[in-house]
Amino acid sequence: MTLPEPVDTMASPLRMDYTYVAGAGRSVFLRGLAERRLLARQCPGCSRVYAPAPEFCSRCLRPVGPPFELPGHGEVSTFCVVSFPFPGQVYEPPYVVAQIRLDGADTRLMHLVREVAPERVRIGLRVEPVWVGDDELDTSTTSIRYFRPMEPADA
Amino acid sequence: MSGPLAVIGVGQSVQAKRREVTIGALVREAVDEALADAGLGFADIDAVVLSKTPDLFDGVMNPELYLADAMGAVGLPVTRVFTGGSVGGHAAIFGAHLVAAGLARRVLVVAYSKESEGNFTWALSRGLPFSSHLGAGAGGHFAPVIREYIRRSRAPEHIGWKVAVNHRHNAARNPYAHIRRADLTIDEVRQSPMLWDPIRYLESCPSSDGSCAIVVTGAELARRSPRPPAWIHGMAWRTETGHFAGRDEVNPRAGRDCAADAYRQAGITDPAREIDVAELYIPYSWYEPMWLENTGLAGEHDGWRLVDADRTAFGGDLPVNPSGGVLSGNPTGATGLLRFAEAALQVRGLAGEHQVPGARRAVGHAMGGASQFHALWVVGSEAPA
Amino acid sequence: MREVAVVSFAQSPCVPADREHDMAEIVLPVIRQALDACGLTRDDIDFFASGSHDFYEGRTFSYIESLDAVGAWPPISESHVEMDAAWAFAEAWAWLQLGEGKTALVYGIGRSSLAADLDQILPAQLDPYLLAPLRPHRDALAGLQAAALVDAGLTSERQLAEIVSRRRTVSTDELLAAPYVASPLRAHDVAPPGDAAAVIVLAAGDTARRLTDRPAWVRGLDHRIETHYPGVRDLTRSASTSMAAARAAELAGFSAADVDVAELHTEYSYQEPLLVAALGLKNARVNPSGGPLAGRPATATGLIRIGEAARRIMDGTAERALAHATNGPALQHNLVCLLAGEPR
Repeated sequence: MTLPEPVDTMASPLRMDYTYVAGAGRSVFLRGLAERRLLARQCPGCSRVYAPAPEFCSRCLRPVGPPFELPGHGEVSTFCVVSFPFPGQVYEPPYVVAQIRLDGADTRLMHLVREVAPERVRIGLRVEPVWVGDDELDTSTTSIRYFRPMEPADA
Repeated sequence: MSGPLAVIGVGQSVQAKRREVTIGALVREAVDEALADAGLGFADIDAVVLSKTPDLFDGVMNPELYLADAMGAVGLPVTRVFTGGSVGGHAAIFGAHLVAAGLARRVLVVAYSKESEGNFTWALSRGLPFSSHLGAGAGGHFAPVIREYIRRSRAPEHIGWKVAVNHRHNAARNPYAHIRRADLTIDEVRQSPMLWDPIRYLESCPSSDGSCAIVVTGAELARRSPRPPAWIHGMAWRTETGHFAGRDEVNPRAGRDCAADAYRQAGITDPAREIDVAELYIPYSWYEPMWLENTGLAGEHDGWRLVDADRTAFGGDLPVNPSGGVLSGNPTGATGLLRFAEAALQVRGLAGEHQVPGARRAVGHAMGGASQFHALWVVGSEAPA
Repeated sequence: MREVAVVSFAQSPCVPADREHDMAEIVLPVIRQALDACGLTRDDIDFFASGSHDFYEGRTFSYIESLDAVGAWPPISESHVEMDAAWAFAEAWAWLQLGEGKTALVYGIGRSSLAADLDQILPAQLDPYLLAPLRPHRDALAGLQAAALVDAGLTSERQLAEIVSRRRTVSTDELLAAPYVASPLRAHDVAPPGDAAAVIVLAAGDTARRLTDRPAWVRGLDHRIETHYPGVRDLTRSASTSMAAARAAELAGFSAADVDVAELHTEYSYQEPLLVAALGLKNARVNPSGGPLAGRPATATGLIRIGEAARRIMDGTAERALAHATNGPALQHNLVCLLAGEPR
């Protein structure tokens, strides 16, 4: 009797579905995005302004104050250029992902920077948000399609 | 610490895509080698600590359950630690704590990753609801931090390439390493594809399968072990919160505090001179100068000068990652323990072809999260005074 | 061993599903409550340890978010287990033995409700090559163990129903009329999943005496794991629980037979008679808190057992208490903690 071929690999796919809970703090920011508003909140303890803001300051552990709207523009604090493809990627490389410090905030928001050649992006570049149309607005950072240079000459 | 502690056994698997072994078998390779190195059998171990990064990387939940048999842990206490990428370092320190607390005489610390079972980049890049799927992955997080270091330190662009060449040449002397390139040149690194500007392909760690294990014990049993022990002179861990305004991710305070605590325990006042070799958690080449500064082995903004002067190359006065380091093999759950274990091998004189001659004191270092978790130990050839 | 005691315990109510708060928002008020109860601030804590698991949270590196509730600044000494937080308690107790610090804070969060279907999640705890592909549903292995107990005459379906009806206004007969979910287990035999967080503050020696009137001294703690494969184990016993209990008793100077109260991490009703036998409990009141059958918040459940046992010491209703925690299906890995109103 001949033995069967040994099995050396097998596929054992796992699928797991979850509910994601944004949380009270994050929800305030997300609801603002659905109205094209960038909302910030200030910690009464250390006076730092968070955007997006958690429900309480992670340094002071105090609840942060009520939300207020930021003008929306800011500057690139640091960035990288994603240059290679990978599974699940939505945008075609190369594209710039930046940490953006909105004017009025002390924390940074991560988002795309477009309408500028990647090699012309620099730390300190002044940027503004480009919002999606009404039909695409949502309680999500996708309400901002991307940030772009404020000065066309920078592009 | 109530009396000195030591590492008396080190084992590891070859790092590579290991499609021909099960997870249990991969772990067992390191466990068997560590026990053999220590001259021990399973019955000599009193407790097991398991280090592993997110279970999503290979789809095995609570792997301490499945691996109880492979680790020889049946009938023993087992704890599975997870603190981001620093987990291997945290696990080694927790293992030492169990001995120091009098709860175990010999602890086996085991670490592994078998990322070939899943897709590592996907696991790290999965978008969350309500957010843009920027999908930058690990490098996409660290590249902007590197950019900020370069700006602050005014380091020339070739430093990263030089580190990559040093580590890959070092790996050629390490039979366990994943990527071994004795022939790698600066030009080849410079011309390799850009991944997350400024990080190029050949400046990045691979995703590897691999395992590592060490045996930690107290002084009395260490003195009886067949091969020289690596004595623990100082060990520390520190965590800092990630999300507050004004956090310095380039030179995080948690890393500085962690190293300072370990050096204080070890009686080290001038680390750059008193440390002979360092195994640092460098997943992207630029982290060498950054961590040299953060761990006090170089002054602020000066880390890149040590690289430039060839001081951190294998023949230099402060070799970094003689094993080839993370750039040459990155089984994430084991990577931290590998740094701690390689430091131990150096001071035991057992690092084979990648032995740094005369290494008496070494640093093993691990980092996790967005540079939030830090672990470091100082090991030496002699028992601490 | 150094004298270490529980000086404070707090938990959030176990709710079927919290859809409002993120991890840090759930944990923060509980940390604040636990610290307030013993008059400490987070700056007074020398070591933090936590337990939670990504597969319940649905995100990689999920525990990092919980650190926002801890105030990890300036940098702290901290560690985490991707397990029930009872194992974080064990780590904190071990850390306090070192003499490097006087206080430790342990927190656990468990959210069973985020997973749409625990049948998708729990098979991942099994050998990925030989057992997980069989995709046993969430209660299947428990059903096998319960069946083994019934077949060996060590329990009966009626006894299981009695355990459940003790805490409910439902008769045993009504319970026995319900259909099986994994024979011989019925839906009411399964501890209901929920979401909650729990926090315990530990302190050493005189610090513990200063922080609370009646510290619950941790006299002994041990945990042991068995072989992974259910087919190789004697499912009618819990050898690891017995071993952990014996080792804890050596440290404690008294055994499970001597305790007034026992909080057992019973994920299913059948585990109560099994654990009572494995531990050798004699006159102990079992699960006065209601136990997991009143709510099972995943990776916080075992820590809550320790907290509830400690609470009985601290409020003077018990002199000696036992807490048990488990990890893995069908009681593969078990932890036993012995607490008393007096140090050794």
